[in-house]
Amino acid sequence: MSESVTIIFEKRDGERIEVAARTGASVMETAVVNNVAGIEAECGGSCICATCHVYCDHVADGVLDEMSPIEDDMLDLAAAERRPSSRLSCQIRVGPALDRAVFVIPEAQF
Amino acid sequence: MGAAVIVGASHAGVQAALSLRQSGWQDEIVLFSAETDHPYHRPPLSKAFLAGEKDAGQILLRSPDLYRDQQIDLRLGEPVEAIDRAGRFVTSKSGRQPYSTLLLATGSRARRLAAPGADLDGVFTLRSLRDSRAIKDALAAAGSVVIVGGGFIGLEVASTSAKLGRKTTVLEALPTLLSRALPPAVGDFLRSYHEGKGVRFRFGAQVAGFEGEGGRLRAVRLADGSTIAADMALVGIGGEADLDLAKDLGLRLSAGGIEVDAHGRTSAEGIYAMGDVAGFQNAFAPASMRLESVQNAVDQAKAAAAHICGGDAGLTAVPWFWTDQYDLKVQMAGIGRPGAVEILRGDPSTGAFTLLQLVDGRLIAAHSVNRAADHMMARRLIAERVPIDVAAAADAATPLAKAVLAEATTSRMATAGP
Repeated sequence: MSESVTIIFEKRDGERIEVAARTGASVMETAVVNNVAGIEAECGGSCICATCHVYCDHVADGVLDEMSPIEDDMLDLAAAERRPSSRLSCQIRVGPALDRAVFVIPEAQF
Repeated sequence: MGAAVIVGASHAGVQAALSLRQSGWQDEIVLFSAETDHPYHRPPLSKAFLAGEKDAGQILLRSPDLYRDQQIDLRLGEPVEAIDRAGRFVTSKSGRQPYSTLLLATGSRARRLAAPGADLDGVFTLRSLRDSRAIKDALAAAGSVVIVGGGFIGLEVASTSAKLGRKTTVLEALPTLLSRALPPAVGDFLRSYHEGKGVRFRFGAQVAGFEGEGGRLRAVRLADGSTIAADMALVGIGGEADLDLAKDLGLRLSAGGIEVDAHGRTSAEGIYAMGDVAGFQNAFAPASMRLESVQNAVDQAKAAAAHICGGDAGLTAVPWFWTDQYDLKVQMAGIGRPGAVEILRGDPSTGAFTLLQLVDGRLIAAHSVNRAADHMMARRLIAERVPIDVAAAADAATPLAKAVLAEATTSRMATAGP
């Protein structure tokens, strides 16, 4: 098993940014460490601020951790539209199954 | 123009630097930090980092590369030693650094207990990553832990200590927990929850001193003469603004901090302050106060950067805070005040409830335990100052958004938004 997988962030204009992600880190931490704009994560990953919202349409079924009730509640009031594929990226842990997964950044986090 | 010099590189200082660049600041940005660690999130220091759930690399505020990419001259381990207001320069170990605009983000520091033995090995305060590393090591080796102060930091460390299986005692001088920040109902709930996890409380407890052996803490002695065995003690009795540099600048002070307006301006032209060090009359607070929170630091920094770059939008944010203890997510929106009408949504015995506070029929604060949706909606309703339907608000099964009185709905829909 490799220590690092590749995660892809898709910006609103369709541009894709490929970054190396450390397994065990969250998708949010991966974005922040790689300066991916549009993932604010004001609370640092406490599932408190809903500013690390991503859409996971391009992520295979069954590879994401389950959503907690609190994440579910926070997403209802995220700044950008909530869709069936919405998640908070601080609650998604990077593992080998996420290699080359694509996370779409919404138009707003505040 | 000339350089923007930022003193302090935590939540406020780092945000100010990034927002200055985003707002079009063309000149140099020099960001001074007394600490040698790259800027990091402070909340995990008493929670996930202390518990070993996250390492230092996972709590960085930003990637170390970002500062270079954004042409922010981050000076780690380089405290500003003096500020010359007339000459418009600061002095550090590298010499003089002139500024056109000065941003003071020096933050706060942990208040220390003036008691005999407070300098013994094993007695800690918690403010920095360095403090947290030391406390983490001490917790790993401790059998008995005493927490002085039943505030947020104290209770967060108590929950970590209890989770690690340490014998944990919290000493609180007042009769209830968190009485300055939270209504008694919330403090009492947290007390019961901690007791259920094995934490002991001593209320009305005054520390007379720390007793040691060979320079190491062995016990905490109370004013009533009793002693509690302790291998480690954490003093969490609040913070005070770090005014060491600012005190000689002749700046007007407010609420124990540097007085600022909604744009972060101090009483001196060209000098701004933000974050824990700033005293400010927030539009949603009953009086000028220092708000020690990530949200306030970030929002004040953004407002100041915008103003420095010619913008006019002042700070209008509703203050919000959070604390994590065990599996509890406690979220606070607005600033509570004594005498407000209190409405309880939900049953505390279920571990999920919100205590709303109303003044003149309008929501001014909401304290939520494991009810994140209430918290998020409360932030909007406080901002909009809409009249609240008390009966609907008291029904936990009704979404808080539906607890707005009918005649206000139209304007709320018009102003509600992200």
